[in-house]
Amino acid sequence: MRKALFLLIAALAPAQAFAANQVALDNNVFVERVTTDAAGKQRVLLEEPKVVVPGDRLVFVLNYRNAGAQPADKFVITNPMPSAVRFAGAGDMPPLVSVDGGKMWGQLADLTVPMADGTRRPAQPADVTHVRWAFQKPIPAGATGKLIFRGVVK
Amino acid sequence: MMKAPVGGAKHQLLRPSYSALLLCALALPMQAHAAGTVAGSTISNTASASFDNGAGTQTIDSNTVNLRVDELLDVTVASNNPSDVATTPGGTNQLLTFTVTNTGNGQEAFGLSTIANVGGDNYDPTITGIYIDNGDGIFDPATDTLYTAGSNDPVLNPDQSARIFVVATTPGTVADNDRGIVTLVAAAKIGTGAPGTTFAGQGQGGGDAVVGSTGADGQDNGAYKVSAATVTLVKSAVVADPFGGSEPVPGATITYTITATVAGTGSVGGLAITDNIPADTSYVTGSITLGGAPLSDASDADAGDYNGTRIRVQLGTVAGGQTRTVTFKTKID
Repeated sequence: MRKALFLLIAALAPAQAFAANQVALDNNVFVERVTTDAAGKQRVLLEEPKVVVPGDRLVFVLNYRNAGAQPADKFVITNPMPSAVRFAGAGDMPPLVSVDGGKMWGQLADLTVPMADGTRRPAQPADVTHVRWAFQKPIPAGATGKLIFRGVVK
Repeated sequence: MMKAPVGGAKHQLLRPSYSALLLCALALPMQAHAAGTVAGSTISNTASASFDNGAGTQTIDSNTVNLRVDELLDVTVASNNPSDVATTPGGTNQLLTFTVTNTGNGQEAFGLSTIANVGGDNYDPTITGIYIDNGDGIFDPATDTLYTAGSNDPVLNPDQSARIFVVATTPGTVADNDRGIVTLVAAAKIGTGAPGTTFAGQGQGGGDAVVGSTGADGQDNGAYKVSAATVTLVKSAVVADPFGGSEPVPGATITYTITATVAGTGSVGGLAITDNIPADTSYVTGSITLGGAPLSDASDADAGDYNGTRIRVQLGTVAGGQTRTVTFKTKID
């Protein structure tokens, strides 16, 4: 299953056009289509969508590559959430998130949102405005990686 | 200056794995959603990376992915009558209220229809009209719009609601406590069908229109409940002759007692008891009583009167379960 899916994604992903820049960042968005087969089993397919509808579950995949000869230090990838997408978690490497347009960063559970009455409530996934990965170690020359987060079309 | 906290991700040369992602997807229920992003809009995503490879901090942008948002066709209908609406046999302009809401993400016209023979009830209300509220929430046939299918289908923006009045007549043959159910159905004019059904090019903004989780139609029931009452009259007479006996001889006084009993969950309006004075007897002036209290003979503020040929007691509206007792006297000529 995993292998089949990986192949599917590989087939769907467009040819990666890493620029001559020493670090390249490629952005792909997939939509999860859940289908139920004759046996009643649900299957999840990732498709590269041209169109989506509210409620569709999106998977954002960011591929990075250090094509230069030097390690890339202080490596930070930031993705502002499209306003029509509600954050819905991430993959194996959870990002830092911001709920105030990129001023404060942290784990979602640690963040709060001001209320009209001056109090603050715990932040919800819908509050997320940006996601960010900040790497502690330099990216070695030639290294690649993949970052994933999920969203739902509002 | 914002300080980006470092952490939360360690660099790894990972073989991509979607297994965790998939498990997550299967475990999450499909979420209900409100109208959401307007059809025809574009979702645009760009990430950026910053780094230092020895020549100072650089920032690069990723490619941008644009997704067009298609139109979802979704509608809900909800009855605004939390409990049965009371009606009476033969009652006209009996009102049920519904709210039709466009839960899709594009402007859409919806056709309305009613079903009166739903089953599960005792009678079929006769629908006399469907009206679209003018916004004040109060039914008024002079200011609300009489709905005609195909000519003035309500057009609703995403998340917009219309209040719909269904007006019906209750058949005269219904009995107390009978229920009559009416279903209001709203359906997207573009079309309905199984979720996912696509109407190419018919969505707002030039995209497709896709049937959403509601099937692009919705319905709800409202119900009437008959509140009827029946009146039973029982009349009795007691004779008192001038000699202390009870013989109906000239000069004897007859006391008539009329008991009106109202039964049922409803009430009767305009209930009046009239009784002609029998031939060969004369009405005893000022003898009408209601519930033991005397009433005057004049046609005036109190409920009783005598007009020379009959007595009358106007009881007005009497609710089920109540009785009214009227007495009057005559003398045998």
